[in-house]
Amino acid sequence: MNGDVGAMTSHAGEGELRVDKISMRFGGLKVFEDISLRLCPRDILGVIGPNGAGKTTLINVICGKLAPAAGHVFLGGADVSGKSTHTLSRMGLVRSFQQTNTFRTATVRENLSRAIRFSSGSAESWRRMEELLDRFDLSQRLDEQSDKLPYGLQKMLGLLLAYATTPKVLLLDEPAAGLEGRERSRVDDFVHHAQRDPGCAILIVEHDMDLIRRLCPRIMVLDAGRLLAEGPPDEVLSRRDVIDAYVGAIDEEDE
Amino acid sequence: MAIRSVRHVSAPGPGEIASAVIVAFAFAVPFVSDSQLVYSLANQILIAITASFSVYIMLRMDLMTFAVPAFMALGGYAFAIASLRGGITDTIALAALAFAIPALVALPLGVLILRLRGVYFVLVTFVLTQILDLLLFETPGLTGGSNGLVGMPPTTLFGLTLDDNRGVLFVAAGLTLAATLITAGLTSYFRQHFAAIEENEVLAQSLGLVTWRYKVLGFVVAAGVAGMAGFALVNMLLTAHPSSFSPISSVNYIGYAIIGGRGSMLGPIVGSGLLVWATNLFSIQGEYSQGLFGVLIIIVVMLAKGGIVGAVASLCRRFTRHRRDRAGVAPQTAAREASTPL
Repeated sequence: MNGDVGAMTSHAGEGELRVDKISMRFGGLKVFEDISLRLCPRDILGVIGPNGAGKTTLINVICGKLAPAAGHVFLGGADVSGKSTHTLSRMGLVRSFQQTNTFRTATVRENLSRAIRFSSGSAESWRRMEELLDRFDLSQRLDEQSDKLPYGLQKMLGLLLAYATTPKVLLLDEPAAGLEGRERSRVDDFVHHAQRDPGCAILIVEHDMDLIRRLCPRIMVLDAGRLLAEGPPDEVLSRRDVIDAYVGAIDEEDE
Repeated sequence: MAIRSVRHVSAPGPGEIASAVIVAFAFAVPFVSDSQLVYSLANQILIAITASFSVYIMLRMDLMTFAVPAFMALGGYAFAIASLRGGITDTIALAALAFAIPALVALPLGVLILRLRGVYFVLVTFVLTQILDLLLFETPGLTGGSNGLVGMPPTTLFGLTLDDNRGVLFVAAGLTLAATLITAGLTSYFRQHFAAIEENEVLAQSLGLVTWRYKVLGFVVAAGVAGMAGFALVNMLLTAHPSSFSPISSVNYIGYAIIGGRGSMLGPIVGSGLLVWATNLFSIQGEYSQGLFGVLIIIVVMLAKGGIVGAVASLCRRFTRHRRDRAGVAPQTAAREASTPL
């Protein structure tokens, strides 16, 4: 892993996210330590791990909500560690939320309009969204209040709000959590679409292993704040220590 | 698909236009009445409307401010000092000054304190008002201390001297109309930004909105609007005195805005009108009226979040929906209209 980091510094392209040995602590509590990763445009990276492994905190640190205790985050070659959420968002690094997260009393249209306006988007941003709105059955519901939508559509709207800002890097925090089986394929559609146009690099934190296998050519496993394994999903998920980490977690929950 | 036809709606809505029309009617009062009581009541209501617009602006972003009396004092004393020391009597110049001085003070303050969240912001605005109150007493060289400032010459407009009761009411009406237009302009132009901050600041930030910038902007304009109310108050009382800007009076302005209804500019107007009128009618003075407003605020917050205007609006909607359902119109249309803000 450390050897990789050295190689990474050599060139840094537009829209590349590089996380270099970041650590996070809350007081004396260590959440994760020495996590490094790299995402190029159109890369899809899955991050999995048992509950409490530090996955959501990792997203919170990368997107600027929390400042890392150590380490650096680079976006397109520039060191952006400790920059605020809105600054990073305007640079193209945008996250989605684990819970449904919309402007509740605003209509779907107003929600999207705000996302485009706040990110200084244009009519082009609307055009880019048409296909996804159609596919998620949201184009007929543009004038509905967003918190009146079914749960699944509220989650999809949350993803679309992030997408509407025309991001370069998307951080998706459990996009499929709480969705029914049929609805989960919409997450696949969304990820493929964002990968193709505008060519996002995408980091997905998720518990749905099938979804991870379908979407991610590369995954990272976090366990108790450290990197346990990294590689193609089939290879990583058959590793003994990875299975133990998950089975162990299940055992602990059962007790 | 029709989604490309979306415009960013930032034009004034019916609530804002109605507010400007209602306030403009205040200019008619001197022509329909000679009663000193009516003049005095109209003056008080206009000042209350202007001051509670200052609260209203901050409530747009879900921020509660107790700093209105502080900024009113800055505006009022700016007028008194400019008038006494600088010999300025032109109403428009004085109004600009009464807006600009509090706004300039609010700018660095806002940058500092708007990074605080929710309840901390409320507390700091309260402390701010206490500090300013103290400063007014402790700087007699500038503010006259506990004697206040008196003897301001009457204000003028285009060579006209506005020295009688009509003139004073005319100034108050003009200031209130200006404050209405400023408030309407700000809150409608930035409607989407303010609403996003009010509803979900975390999401707004993660979509790229620099939220503190809009909060500071709102705070600065709210301070300026409060300053204009301070000008009107000092002009009416013919004295700038600390007791006119007591920290506890901030409860009144919050009361007018919330009891009237925080969802529309009509709220502060209705709240100010009714509550100032009721306070005069029942001669509720000092502490009692604030106690009453406190109780009313609790009732509104618990039972009718939209205040008087919000409650009336939802009654109207229920009534029209009821009639429409009877007429057999698709309920979806009614639901859509119900979500349209006033």
